[in-house]
Amino acid sequence: MAGGVGYNRCPVERTLFFSGNEAIAHGAVRAGAGFACGYPGTPSTEILETAARLDGIHAQWCVNEKVALETAVGASLAGVRTIVTMKHVGLNVAADPFMTLSLTGVNGGLVVVSADDPGMQSSQNEQDNRAYAKFAKVPMLEPSDSQEAYDFVAEAFALSEEFDTPVLLRSTTRLSHGRGKVIPRVPIEPEPREYARDISKYVMVPQYARLRNRLVLERLQKLRARAEESPLNVLEAGTADVGIIAAGVAYTYAREAFPKAWFLKLGMSHPLPQHKVARLYQQVSRVAVVEELDPFIEEQVRALGLPLVGKEALPADGELDQDIVFRALEPFLSRRPPRRRRPVFAPAPRLADPPQPAAGLPVRPPVLCPGCTHRAVFTALRRHKLAPMGDIGCYTLGALPPLLALDSCLCMGASIGMMAGFNKALGRKAAAAVIGDSTFFHSGVTPLIDAYYNEADGLVIVLDNRTTAMTGHQGHPGTGLRPDGSQGPAVDIQKLCEGIGVRCDTVDANDYGALDARLKAELDAPGLGVVVALAPCVLTVREKAGAIVVDDERCNLCGLCLDVGCPALASGADSVAVTEVCTGCGLCIEVCRRNALSYAEGA
Amino acid sequence: MNGTTTVSLVGVGGQGILLAAAILAETAFAEGLDVKASEIKGMAQRGGSVQSTVRFGANVWSPVARYADVVIATELLEGHRGLGLLAPQGTLVCATTTRVMPGSVLRREEEYPDDLPAAARGARLIAVDAEALARAAGTVRAVNVALLGAASAVLPFSAASWRRGLAAAVPAQILAVNERAFALGRGAVSNEEVGP
Repeated sequence: MAGGVGYNRCPVERTLFFSGNEAIAHGAVRAGAGFACGYPGTPSTEILETAARLDGIHAQWCVNEKVALETAVGASLAGVRTIVTMKHVGLNVAADPFMTLSLTGVNGGLVVVSADDPGMQSSQNEQDNRAYAKFAKVPMLEPSDSQEAYDFVAEAFALSEEFDTPVLLRSTTRLSHGRGKVIPRVPIEPEPREYARDISKYVMVPQYARLRNRLVLERLQKLRARAEESPLNVLEAGTADVGIIAAGVAYTYAREAFPKAWFLKLGMSHPLPQHKVARLYQQVSRVAVVEELDPFIEEQVRALGLPLVGKEALPADGELDQDIVFRALEPFLSRRPPRRRRPVFAPAPRLADPPQPAAGLPVRPPVLCPGCTHRAVFTALRRHKLAPMGDIGCYTLGALPPLLALDSCLCMGASIGMMAGFNKALGRKAAAAVIGDSTFFHSGVTPLIDAYYNEADGLVIVLDNRTTAMTGHQGHPGTGLRPDGSQGPAVDIQKLCEGIGVRCDTVDANDYGALDARLKAELDAPGLGVVVALAPCVLTVREKAGAIVVDDERCNLCGLCLDVGCPALASGADSVAVTEVCTGCGLCIEVCRRNALSYAEGA
Repeated sequence: MNGTTTVSLVGVGGQGILLAAAILAETAFAEGLDVKASEIKGMAQRGGSVQSTVRFGANVWSPVARYADVVIATELLEGHRGLGLLAPQGTLVCATTTRVMPGSVLRREEEYPDDLPAAARGARLIAVDAEALARAAGTVRAVNVALLGAASAVLPFSAASWRRGLAAAVPAQILAVNERAFALGRGAVSNEEVGP
């Protein structure tokens, strides 16, 4: 153990059982990183949240991944080791600065963490971000467990500074949210790096960029040589006549499925160490590549003219596990190679059919919380014939039954631009945009400016619940809250919109009548307008608004109130019933036409 | 595979699945075992299904497994669903009186299952009225830990290790009530129910 030096918050008296994300944050501090930033997104969020609790590193949420990476570059130029975190789709947002950063290089080491989500536990796609390492010609490290996540961060910073490049540290959900033991290491004190003005390095006008691009290609050759020597790429001897090439959590699955195989375990998976691959082929007569999603390693090995088993046996979508890997590869790997007598494996145990759940069990999709004011906005909005363009946040759930109140959800901040294009094409106010407060700051301001400049018609509803609710209540520029809980300056959304030149009104989202009237008035008005529907996230509000009771005589189970999709309302035998999760928001009272619902007297 | 035991905990967001998983991991550590764990929690605060997996053994490679030797379900519908995670000859420890209705059931579009998850499909079922046990311990919120107590009957850990696991994972101010819930759960499972 490192004697606790630099690990003030590390409970070293017992086993450190870190998630991959916690390990990355602790690994960054251990490597001497002084700056961390990012934008929250599952499964990356806890890296920055952990860093914010540690001493010796500054941590901040940025407005989006693009701005986060640009901020990180600034800190790196200032000479500080910097880590920037995002989920896989976040790197799309940050792709513009990322691709050119490969040309400029860094000053203080810069590590870009991309947390991918195979299987889409919590994402809109499952793109394989290893492609970005190849695309941008930067080195990539792939830890396979929490200890490696901790250790590889220091390796990534060292590579970044030695080769003057950003380094992609690729995680996946199972690494980021998986937990394993971590042994802390002795802290590293990086050499101080002064900033030096260097226009041809940092100003990417064409003539300088062409020069830098040559250097990038030379750097890639040097990195290839480094990958051959790197202790992160290990050839592990086995006893069977088969070899497996794998990286990240896929390695742990393959290792468990085929304990006797040889392994080429790639911790630095880009660029590929070609000679190490060849050495594996000298040891065994059959090789498989085990990787989640795209045939990233497979295609590179095939390009060397080497035969292998890969995606023809293993799925190219979703997550793998040891069971999938075993079933997929066992027929290939245990097949007798030509002129060899001994079987490669003992006969595999036949798995009996496991028990199956009953068919047709009710699904349990996530729902808007009881008392969530987004529900009121959707209830009012869907009374109008409109295409509401959605965005990414809790309120995306408004697109699900029974609300069915959103027409689209493409990516962060897409709602306003889609609304503007839709309305522009049809020449009328046919679409509205629904966007949360944090998403508005993420990438809703720029399209609002665009809509104003291009004179698009439309209604933008900002669902301002004063937090980044979906990812667990992080602060953002509208609240001024920082990840350590301290309060900074906050931006006023209405003033911001008015500053752009857009008409803007703020209405209390708890006042359904006022909200409904404001939306109707704004839809009837010409041009572009913004309505800020303001109410703090119900999960942050502790007190109940009042108990709601049902008049069994009046209720005829028409279903109007059930149709708002509140989990606190249940259909009883003859009338609806209000359950104990009710917060007393009163939306059901508003939509009932028979006055069957009311606040209890004296409540 | 290779001597690793897999326990999956399933339930609904807010039921303390992650805390129960943490107690289990700390208990396995107290036994000197290697542990890996994995959780799906993106929608945990929004009433969705939650699953956490804890794997322990001399040397654990993968943090996940398709099938679990023991599935602990803190809610009845999730117990039904949890059958799909159970390995042959596995054990399902299920809270049978805890029911959280999904929206489609509240709106009467779908039926909540009336029966218990079927032991007839080859699985061993330990049915526990965890809600009553938790109430008896002092808080209905301890359903998760009461069930863990019941599951302890089929898990290879000593009482001392469980005590250390609870103390390491549960915040001090709610440790006593959770210790009571664990003891009630452990006592509720007779040797008969556990079987050979």
